[in-house]
Amino acid sequence: MVRSPPMASPLTSVKRLLERPMRLPRMRAYVPKPDDPAIFWFNGERDDIVREVVRRLEARLGPPGTEAKPPLEYVLNDCANEEARRLHSQKDDETKQSLRFWRGVIKRVGKMSDADRRAMFHDIAERMAKDVAGNFDPRVYSFATRVIPHALTGILKPSSLPSDLASIGSGHGSPVDELMTTEGDIARLRRLGKIGTLVFVPTHLSNLDSVVLGYALMRDDLPPVVYGAGKNLFSNAIVSFFMHNLGAYRVDRRIRAQLYKDVLKTYSAVMIERGYHSLFFPGGTRSRSGMVERKLKLGLAGTAVEAFANNRVRGIDRPVFFVPTTINYALVLEAETLIEDWLKEAGKSRYIIEDDEFSQLDRWVAFIRKLGEVESPAVIRFADPIDPFGNPVDDEGRSLAPDGRTIDPGGYVSWRGKATVDARRDAAYTREMGQHLVKVYERETVLMGTQLVSHILFRRLVRDTPGVDLFGRLRHRGEIAMPRAEIVRELGFAQDRLREMEARKEVRLSAANRSLAPDALLDRVLAALSGYHRRTIVGFAEDGAITLEDPTMLLYYQNRCIAYAERIADEGNLGAAREIARLGHG
Amino acid sequence: MNDKNDKNKLVVGVVGGGSFGLGLARAAERVGNEAIIHSRRSAAVPRSERVRGTSELRDLAACDLIIVAVPSTHVRDVARALGNHVDGRHVVVHVSRGLVGDDLRTVTQVLREETAVRRLGCLAGPLHARALIEGTPGGGIVGSTFPEVGEAVRGAIGGPSMRLYQTEDLVGVELASALVGLLALALGYTQQLGFGPGALSILMTRGMAEAARLGVSFGAEERTFSGMAGFGDLMSAAFGDERPEVKLGRALGRGASLEEAGREANATIEGVAIARRMQRHSARRGIETPITDVLAELLDGQLAPADALARLMARRVHRE
Repeated sequence: MVRSPPMASPLTSVKRLLERPMRLPRMRAYVPKPDDPAIFWFNGERDDIVREVVRRLEARLGPPGTEAKPPLEYVLNDCANEEARRLHSQKDDETKQSLRFWRGVIKRVGKMSDADRRAMFHDIAERMAKDVAGNFDPRVYSFATRVIPHALTGILKPSSLPSDLASIGSGHGSPVDELMTTEGDIARLRRLGKIGTLVFVPTHLSNLDSVVLGYALMRDDLPPVVYGAGKNLFSNAIVSFFMHNLGAYRVDRRIRAQLYKDVLKTYSAVMIERGYHSLFFPGGTRSRSGMVERKLKLGLAGTAVEAFANNRVRGIDRPVFFVPTTINYALVLEAETLIEDWLKEAGKSRYIIEDDEFSQLDRWVAFIRKLGEVESPAVIRFADPIDPFGNPVDDEGRSLAPDGRTIDPGGYVSWRGKATVDARRDAAYTREMGQHLVKVYERETVLMGTQLVSHILFRRLVRDTPGVDLFGRLRHRGEIAMPRAEIVRELGFAQDRLREMEARKEVRLSAANRSLAPDALLDRVLAALSGYHRRTIVGFAEDGAITLEDPTMLLYYQNRCIAYAERIADEGNLGAAREIARLGHG
Repeated sequence: MNDKNDKNKLVVGVVGGGSFGLGLARAAERVGNEAIIHSRRSAAVPRSERVRGTSELRDLAACDLIIVAVPSTHVRDVARALGNHVDGRHVVVHVSRGLVGDDLRTVTQVLREETAVRRLGCLAGPLHARALIEGTPGGGIVGSTFPEVGEAVRGAIGGPSMRLYQTEDLVGVELASALVGLLALALGYTQQLGFGPGALSILMTRGMAEAARLGVSFGAEERTFSGMAGFGDLMSAAFGDERPEVKLGRALGRGASLEEAGREANATIEGVAIARRMQRHSARRGIETPITDVLAELLDGQLAPADALARLMARRVHRE
């Protein structure tokens, strides 16, 4: 007989309730308007989506009585062992009963009949899919659209809150809008969002990214997206409430069972197939080093190709558009924790950081207040959309060949005229997409003043410490000083080079980097670098020179420049720039 | 000759009417497929029941698989022209033994830039034109990140006399193929100078180790150089497959100028240009490539044969 995971004790149930995302009660069902994006239909479709996910997973097992590949016993064993291992290490009250269930599975699975194994598979897959599935509440969306900017205003500029609140509904922008600039062909994205499914694939620096991008989409009248958010992000009750009710689905990266990964992939593919605009971070995790991603895991983003092929096989012509996006900050909320993590090379063991600045409310407040003093501190840049095979698309969403002809993207998933689903082929397309995105990220990254000035200062450290390795250099705290006039000169040289590169579309520059005189840019960056971070990054010597107090933080911010280091160096700094460039190959 | 029913029969397009292109078409015909050879001199293409020539690239649009058999020096132009007629439906494979431009782009990179085709591959290894035409036993390797590309090539020309292996290390196959060309040139040159079997073996073994180091710097897998695309191909050259690179090397060894040697070999030798570019690449990336360096300088006339040998023999011996 098959038994499900047992009911929890009352105490455990209350704890779980508090940790689970809250939903608002609803008296009558929301009826979406015809122009609403697919996500407004989500709550009505959720049960059907969960059923479809389970149905597909079961279909892979083959008909009852046949041997599945891999065998069902193996799948269940893997799942039970992985979960038992995870829960054993967690050792909290909540896990005890689940642990008992999984240990029971390990004991019984070998003796079960095929029918019992299939029933258990169904039960586990359904539970996982339900746990993953998100929620979308149009009331929360509407509330967030109107109220969040003003709440942020309260933190940013408390004095302007009364007048800001009075302006609700007046159509005037909030001060928080000044924090964020969006670049790219927004009108085109709006149009394509009505033709097909948008898949946003941004760079990833901070846990704020999904919030910032979600807000940018809302502000620019782009459709809301569904996205997989790490379960750790749901630990903050307020963030969890908004994330959960605005389409985020939960991804528990601690669960290593293959079945769970299959549930996530299938869920993601089903959502894209049904036209839900989606967001994936192809880097998989935040860039610990601050560098622009050069190796992409793609992960769930790869399900977009599978979704496109599935639709074609069923005769559905719904285009999928990837939108490479770069999210660029002058300051990064979690910079100190991330760079330390990178330096410790503990990225793997601390893959899920739960105790960084993102979970500390006081750091949020300090961060947002500091941002208020920096001009355009966040820039979101949407690059030209592409089809799942890396081809540009025209305004009508048609794929374009290099010679400008329109081509049918369905050809990529066909062989001899017949559309097919082929996991190995789609994995190859996904790898190609990863290589394509790396190139796009490099040229669409918006270099900020903090990053450029940090690079100039860090480059001086490298130049003045020949033959010393990275860790040796980072120990030179406050020992290297750079005369202000030299910084201004080198900064001006780099700005000139960068402007030329921007004209050749090799990189993008923030407004300050592009148009400020080096002297003014330096002053602005020095002000930005002091105040938010707990550490002192730069100091001032008596003769007016700038001292490098914390090379580690300089390293973090300058890492955004390494792909361009050699191209923006003058003759005297070329050797140091080459050394810095090599950091990107390591 | 095999017969295939219409459902299984493939129409294979071949770009390039040289002996290799003709050999590939014959191999396709032999296993029951049809072939269309694109050539500027299409009238000169020997016709048969299942092979025909065309001077219009658009005629290849109806093919499922297209094999590009032109030297890498012409690949960019050919790819651009082909790009007007192909799209995501097509599978395109090349047999060029070169790299393109100063930045040493692989031929599939060029095909990707100039066409909308993504399912690309490289057919390499100990294949040679005469064996393809005559159908004597042989084989090769298909490099592609798409498994179905290898299957398509096997379906097109694979058969009882043609064993085709497959690898996902496309970069490795393309780099190995190009660098074997360079080593084949060195082989012919040193044979002409009278090197014995031992010395030739050292040259080939250390040369392949060097090729693997270079390949890895481009993202290739080292083991690919020990397989069909690397040692397999080099052994074929050493066993006397009448490879143009070996002929060119011999002519140079006899003291002929590069131009004279090229005429004698009667082929576009891609290894000559690769040597210099590889030397620059290895210097930039800090890779040890003594054999490539010596070859580049020899081909540029900066080094006399005796000095080249002395320089290589004077190197410090270390662990293999």
